[in-house]
Order: sequence, then C-alpha cells, then structure tokens
Amino acid sequence: MTQPIVDIKQLTKTYGKSRGISNITFSIEEGEVFGFIGPNGAGKSTTIRTLLNFIFPTSGNATIFGKDIVKQAKAIRQQIGYLPSEIFYYDDMKVIDLLRYSASFHHYKNLGRIHELSERLDLDTTRKIEDLSFGNRKKVGIVQALLHEPKLLILDEPTGGLDPLMQNTFFELLKEERSKGTTIFFSSHILSEVQKMCDRVAIIKEGALIKVESVENLLKNNLKNVTLTASNPAAINLSALSGVIKQETAGTHLKLLYGGDMKKLVAAIADAPFNDILIEEPSLEEIFIHYYEKE
Amino acid sequence: MLFRREFKRNLRSLIIWSIIIAAIILLYLSIFPEMAKQQHSLDEMMSSMPEGMKKAFGMDRLTMGTALGFYGIEIHLMNTLLGSIFAAMLASNIVAKEQGEKTIEFLLAKPFTRQQIITEKWAAVFTNVLIFNIVIVLASIIGFQFTKGADVSYSTFFLLESAVVLMHLTFASVAFLISTIVKRTRTVVSSSLALVFIMYFFSIIAGVSDTFSFLKYVSPFKYAEAATIITENDFDPQYITIMAVVIVGCVLAGHWYYSRKDITV
Repeated sequence: MTQPIVDIKQLTKTYGKSRGISNITFSIEEGEVFGFIGPNGAGKSTTIRTLLNFIFPTSGNATIFGKDIVKQAKAIRQQIGYLPSEIFYYDDMKVIDLLRYSASFHHYKNLGRIHELSERLDLDTTRKIEDLSFGNRKKVGIVQALLHEPKLLILDEPTGGLDPLMQNTFFELLKEERSKGTTIFFSSHILSEVQKMCDRVAIIKEGALIKVESVENLLKNNLKNVTLTASNPAAINLSALSGVIKQETAGTHLKLLYGGDMKKLVAAIADAPFNDILIEEPSLEEIFIHYYEKE
Repeated sequence: MLFRREFKRNLRSLIIWSIIIAAIILLYLSIFPEMAKQQHSLDEMMSSMPEGMKKAFGMDRLTMGTALGFYGIEIHLMNTLLGSIFAAMLASNIVAKEQGEKTIEFLLAKPFTRQQIITEKWAAVFTNVLIFNIVIVLASIIGFQFTKGADVSYSTFFLLESAVVLMHLTFASVAFLISTIVKRTRTVVSSSLALVFIMYFFSIIAGVSDTFSFLKYVSPFKYAEAATIITENDFDPQYITIMAVVIVGCVLAGHWYYSRKDITV
C-alpha cells in the first residue's frame, strides 16, 4: 500500500474560547478528492490550520507527504496550494504582483499560467486588490492556490462568493488538476458540492470526527425532504411506506424526511389527496440530527 | 522576497521621514552662523534660564557658541526623538500588521519558516533605521559646511551619531518584540509611541532630579545624551552594552515567541 498523502492521527487542538478539535483521525490517499464536511464552527478550519501549522496541535500528530506537519512545515508547504475561506491579501498590490509574489515563494517559473488561469476565471490581473469585490478576491485566491501546480490542494469553503457560472469553471479547473494526479482536500458545509466532486468525505461535528465514508455510500443512504401541500394533510396516510425517518404536519404542509426508495414514495403518494409536492435535499444539520443519531 | 517586499512597502514612509529630518538639520545649521554672531547675548539669555531646565537639556555643559554645542542642544533632540518615533512605529507595525490585516494566512501557507519571516522583517527594520541615520549624517555634514570657520570635530560627531543609531535600534527592537506578541496593530503602535515618550520624559527627570538619577540607566535618551558625549568625547561602554543586550535580546525573544505561537486570524 502506498503512503497516504495526508495522515492524521489523534489530532487534538484545544484553545481559548474556540471549541477546537479532538482526536481527529483519518487519512487521504494520493489522487483522491476528499471532502471535509460539517456545519460552520465544527472545526474544519481548525483542522486545516493545524495541518498548515498556523496553530500547533495540543496532542496527536499528522503527516503530509510523509513529513511531520510541525517539524517539516516548510518542505510540506512547497507542494501545497491553500485557498482560505476568507481571502485577505495586501491591499496595495495589484493582482498580478500578488500572484508573482506568490509564485516566487514556490520558485515557480511558468508565469504564463497566471494569465491562463486568470482568463479562465475572467479575472483582471491589472486591478488593485483593494478595489476587488469579494468574488474577485476569491478568484485571486483560486489562481494563487492552483498556480504553482501543487501536489496537494487544501480548499477551505472554496465556492463561497462565486456565482454559479464561476463555480462550474472552478470545478472544471479542479477536475483538470485531479487528472494530473493532484490530491484535493475540500472543506465545505454544502453537501451537494461535496457529493459532486469528492470520492470520500469525512464528517465533522463539534470538533469530533463522526464518520469517514465514500460518497457512493452517502448517496445510497441519501435522504430527501419531502413536503406535501394538501387541504387536509391529516388524510394522507403513509404508514405503509418504509423509510420515513421523520414526519410532521404544520398547517397545510406535511413534511417528511425520507430515506427510502424514491419509486415507492411516488407510488405511495400517487393516490393521496395532495395539491403540490416539493422534494429537496435536507440540510447537513438535519442529517446529523436524524440520521447519525440513529446509528 | 519578503525583505524586498517590506522594503518597498515602507519606502514611502522612509522617504518622508528622511526629508523631514534632513530639512530640520539643514534649516537649523543654516541659521547657526547668525546665532553664533550674537553669541554674547545668547549666552546671557541662556544663563538667565532656570537651572533645572538647563540641566534637563544639557545646556549647563554645552554652549550654543560652537557648532557641535548648538547641534547637541537643538538638533540632537530632533534626531533622537523623531528617529525613535520613526523606528518604533516602523517596527511595531511590521509583524503585527500581517496579523491585523489577516494577510499572514497568505505568508504562512508559503514555503517559508516563521524564523525566516522574522529575520527578513527585522532586516527590513534594521535597513530602514540605518538608511535614516545615513540621511542624518549626510544632512549634518552638508549642514556643517554652512558653519564655515566653526571647528567641528567629526570624530566626536560620529561618536554621537553611533549612539543615535544604537538608540534607534533599541527602540525598534523593543517595538519589534511587542509586534510579534500583540495581535492588533493599533495597540502596538500606541504602546511603542508611549514607550518612546515615557523614556524621553525619564531622561529629563534623570537630568533634573538627583533622587531619580538612576533613571539614566533606564532611558536610551540618556545613553545618547549629547552633553556627555560631546564634552567628554566618550560614549560610555556601559550604555553600549545595555543597548546591545536589549537589541539582541528583544530580537531573539521575538524569534523564539513567534516560532511557537498559534497564529489565528
């Protein structure tokens, strides 16, 4: 078996007011797109900052490329592209200056790639950082992270601030990087984008790792929120249907959290007296509360 | 890379401060010949000043009649005070600013150790202070040409100036240490400036009061006192040692602390 790109063992960080993380253990294999999901404040950024040695672990350890994250931080960072969730760059610099500055740290010489990437993302490199909108700053962050063709990309909530069109371009760029063999560590609180991109996901909640699972499995257990609108929702009887995790009635709405076969649901409600139906993805919170607590 | 970036970033402020100090030095030295002509009335005026004030500003030992005496009373104050403010402000911003403006996340994700960050940032402070002092020296040498006839001992002048460089670096190193520790830029700048003014205040008290004369060991303004250096043509090795220890100590402590601290933005 080859050595994992990221190998985290019993990693714990407690500090001050923040919740921190406790006993996180998982590993990411080479070439994998690994999702890291959890609600805001669950400890995703804390884990990433510990991996990048912005903060020091309280106990436990981790390696990236087989190197210790504390002792060999510099060598590790040579091969890492990091996109923070909020981008703060030097206001006095132009986009192009910032990107050149970034490349110079990595001794990366192919500066033509700056223009390739900027063009793809529709980013004007002659503008000053301080004049950029939130979304454009994010684009600078993306180019900065991808520019030096790192072996490992660490992306912390990368799609925030990007419009849907740009998100598509961004995912295309990630797919291209992945086809070159780049490993991607992708943190997000949006389940759907993780499902779209990732091979496996780690789910974190309140600083603790709940589960590491392949997206395939996650999809198999896929849950849907089903809302039926009816003049008399009490008349709808779904007791014969298996896979209903939660059922509640509010006014003219009957809400279901459903985890069973979709066809059976459709068949079961086909003759029910409802006016409208809405099927949507449950929020991550709902999954945590209703699915993982049951397990 | 970082050094170049820091140097460029602070260049404008360095130029402005250099122009100000050069203008002050040249302006003062250009009026010296006029002042020297009226030395008699000047001495009279000075002797009429209260004893405490004369002591505080070293006027009991220096005379306005000589170019260096005049330099020590009028210009040296500007060199030490303005230079210390410049050095302290520069150094207090240089590390804390990255954290205050959250740009440190960019730098920390680069293949660069914390020690390298601190070393290059200190090198930028050091270079800026040095250039500022070179400007002082050049402006002074040009200014002394106005005082034709007056005999300026350059060896004494350079002795005085070496004390000034050391004291600027002392303030810079203390501010630098604070900068590595504190999170918010505003607190660092104001505490560093407060430090400069308190030290200046101490030096005046040490000059006036015998009870508080021990303060002369505390205040770098006293270490670089013009009256002592010019009249005795000697820069007390005790003071050199204190300043060197403070500079090296603060920079090393900054290194040590910064490589261990959790940096969260």
